[in-house]
This record gives sequence, structure tokens and C-alpha cells, in this order.
Amino acid sequence: MLRRFDVYVPENLEDLLNYLNDHSSEVQLIANGTDLINRIQRRQVDPRVLVDLSGFSEFSYVRKNNGTIRIGALTTIQDLISSPVLGRRYDVFRDVASRFGGPSIVNVATVGGNICAASSSEDLIPVLLVLDANVRVRSKRGERVIRLEDFLIGKRQTTILPNEILVETMFDELDDQSSCAFEKIGMRNALIIAFLNCCVNLKLSKENKRIEEIKIAMNRVFGKIPSRAKKTEAELRGKSLTRVQLENAITSLKKELQLTSDFRASKEYRQEVAPVLFKRALIKCLERLGEKIDV
Amino acid sequence: MSKHLLKFTVNGKDHALVVESHERLLDVLRNRLGLKGTKEGCSTGDCGICAVIMDGRLVNSCLVLAIQARNKKITTIEAIGTAENPHPLQRQFIKFNAAQCGFCIPGMILASKVLLDNNPSPTDEEIKEAIRGTLCRCTGYQSIVRAVKAAALEMKKR
Repeated sequence: MLRRFDVYVPENLEDLLNYLNDHSSEVQLIANGTDLINRIQRRQVDPRVLVDLSGFSEFSYVRKNNGTIRIGALTTIQDLISSPVLGRRYDVFRDVASRFGGPSIVNVATVGGNICAASSSEDLIPVLLVLDANVRVRSKRGERVIRLEDFLIGKRQTTILPNEILVETMFDELDDQSSCAFEKIGMRNALIIAFLNCCVNLKLSKENKRIEEIKIAMNRVFGKIPSRAKKTEAELRGKSLTRVQLENAITSLKKELQLTSDFRASKEYRQEVAPVLFKRALIKCLERLGEKIDV
Repeated sequence: MSKHLLKFTVNGKDHALVVESHERLLDVLRNRLGLKGTKEGCSTGDCGICAVIMDGRLVNSCLVLAIQARNKKITTIEAIGTAENPHPLQRQFIKFNAAQCGFCIPGMILASKVLLDNNPSPTDEEIKEAIRGTLCRCTGYQSIVRAVKAAALEMKKR
């Protein structure tokens, strides 16, 4: 049994937005609950009123138009990886799903839930960060589009207002010179919160195979917030991917990461595995582009 | 507001009952409907023991609020075979000694059933994928994987 709380089940979107507008200070949103129910059970949160979003199937979609991919906030991880819209170029989402949790979690956990939970354990966040994703939020008063990078401001903290809901996340389509890969390390493969994860989005120039653009995100670049390793990205941009260059990048990454220890892993351990995860993700990106590197 | 009328279908039977906001699907199945085959393991979504099938997909009933199961079709272990006429999965689990303490087996059978419903000839890897969210602390999984494979063969022969 869970501790007592109330649940409000909105009749429709208008009712939801009105309700949030009138009761914003005392309520908490629940999508499919894989994170929130767990936290209620562990007594990390003690909500008085939950507002149930799980019935809004109109927010479950993956769409592509005019070079933009849009993913509805209630799209589950399973829906995401089985979407015909996201072909082989988006295998990075399959990388995440295969290490995300067992089928009973993947079937239920939502993209919007992962974003709004905003912690280092949300594996989708580094992927969306290297895709330069935006998020769209809506309230009774209208909509706002925010860069995901600006939306996340701290552990379990976002800039969403209490009367707003997350509607979708969107990002530009990957072109055929670009490829993404995700790597993660934890205690077991299914259902594990990562000690560390890493996502890389690599774009090679057509002419000379130099790095035209690279984006690197980890779940713990600064303390416990998933974010980009921008200094390392700058170190690599425009360079050829030689072994020496890769070693320089790793030195830069080690300097840039401000890792901390907690009950999952020590700072020292994380420092050792961070370059390994980065290398693995980079190699996977290259493989996906049909390239090789001697490391 | 704290009480809701929950209408849903469990094992082919329609139900309408008043539930409280904080009740989980697991609580309603076990305590209101008396379906004790669904076991409560960790209660935090880590072990997969309380899994049921909701609209064709495996879900952890400890992480679903009862009211969120409104208008859904739920299948629990009680609807999978009987003692007289077991499901091929159950027959093969017995044959291969795939159950020891038995606590995880309802979740294990349901996870395997969803797999076989969607993939009648799974490889060992696909079976391991399908049950990777269900923790068993006695059998070591080998006999479970063999039993699921044998059940797939048996179902194909029918």
C-alpha cells in the first residue's frame, strides 16, 4: 500500500490546463508512474494530489515534418524504438532502450517523464542533449519552446512552471554524415541506474573525414546534472580523428568532468570509466558511418 | 475526489469497483479481486515479479495506480492455464524444473507469454531479453530459458 494521496483525473486537455491553473501550488503530475510511484514508495516524495496524465493518448506520437522530429511527451520508450519514423539512423534510441530497463519498464516509461524527472538516472536526457533538442510546454495561457539545455537547471529541477505541462520534445533530423551512439555502465544490464553514461553525436565532413561537428553529453559532467562536455567538443572540432587527437580529447574530457562520489560509484572509478565510455560511443558512431579508427 | 469508479476487464471479465486514489493495480488485483497469483516483490519496479499483461504489454502492477488501469484489459497468471490443463509454458516449466521457490514464476510466465505471443520462435538471446526485467534468485535462469524454448516448440507443433 502507498501512503494516502488524491488523484485528479482530468476530463480533457482544457480541464487539465484549467485545473493546473487553479491548483498549481499543491499538485504533482503523474504520467505512467515508473519514476514517481517508486519515489513515493521510497518516501522520497509525499504528494497530496496527483494529476493523472496517462489518459492523454494524443500526446503519444513520433512525427517527422520539414526536417524536424517531434516526440510527444507520453510516447513510451517502447513506442519510440518501434516507431517507423525513426529508422536505423536513430539506433541511438535502441542503444538506450536495451539498457534502460526490462520490458515492463520500457513499455510504460515515457519520454516526457524521463525529461521532467531531470536526474542523472534519466538515460534519454544525454541523447536529447546531443541532438540539441527543444521542449514545448503548454499552460492555459499558451505555449513556450525552451532549449532542453536551459530547461534542466539542477537535479530534479526544471524551468517548467507549476501550471504547465510538457507537450513534446523536438530536434532537427540527423543528416547522412552524422551518427549518434549511447553507452552506459551500471551494475546489471536491465533496470539499472547508470554509474555513468555517455552519448556522442558525430558529424564527419564529406571531403576529408575531419570532425565537422561533435556533441558529447554525459549524465554527470558537473555533479549530478546531465550536460554537455563543451570544452572537449571544441578540442575535437575540425580535427582528424587520429589516435593522438583522441588521447588529447580524453585528457580534456578528464579535466572537464567534475565527477562526484556517491553510493553507486566513487569519483575515482567514474574518472577511470568515463574515457572508456566516450571511446566506445565514438567508435560506435564511426561504425555507424561506415568508418574505422585505430584505437 | 479520493474515490474513483474503476471500470476495467480482468481475465476477460468486466469489473466496476470503487477504488481509492492511492491504491495500486497490484492492491486491487490481490485485495479486491482476490487474485493472489500476482505477487508483490520489491514494490519499486526493480524485480518484475508483480508483472501483469495490460492491453497486450507487460507492466509492473506495483507501478500502476489502480485508476490508471481504467478501460484497460488486464491478464493475470490466473488466466494462463489451469491445474488440469496447463499452458505449454507451465507444462515446460514443470518439466524442466524451472521453478524452485516459485515466487517469481507468475511474472516469469507472463513475461514469457508476451514474448511468445509476439515471437513464436525466439532465440535464447531473445528469451533472455524478454525476461531480463524479472528477477529469479534461485534457478539461475538456465532451466527457465530451456523451458520457454520448449514451450515455443510445443506451441508450434499444435
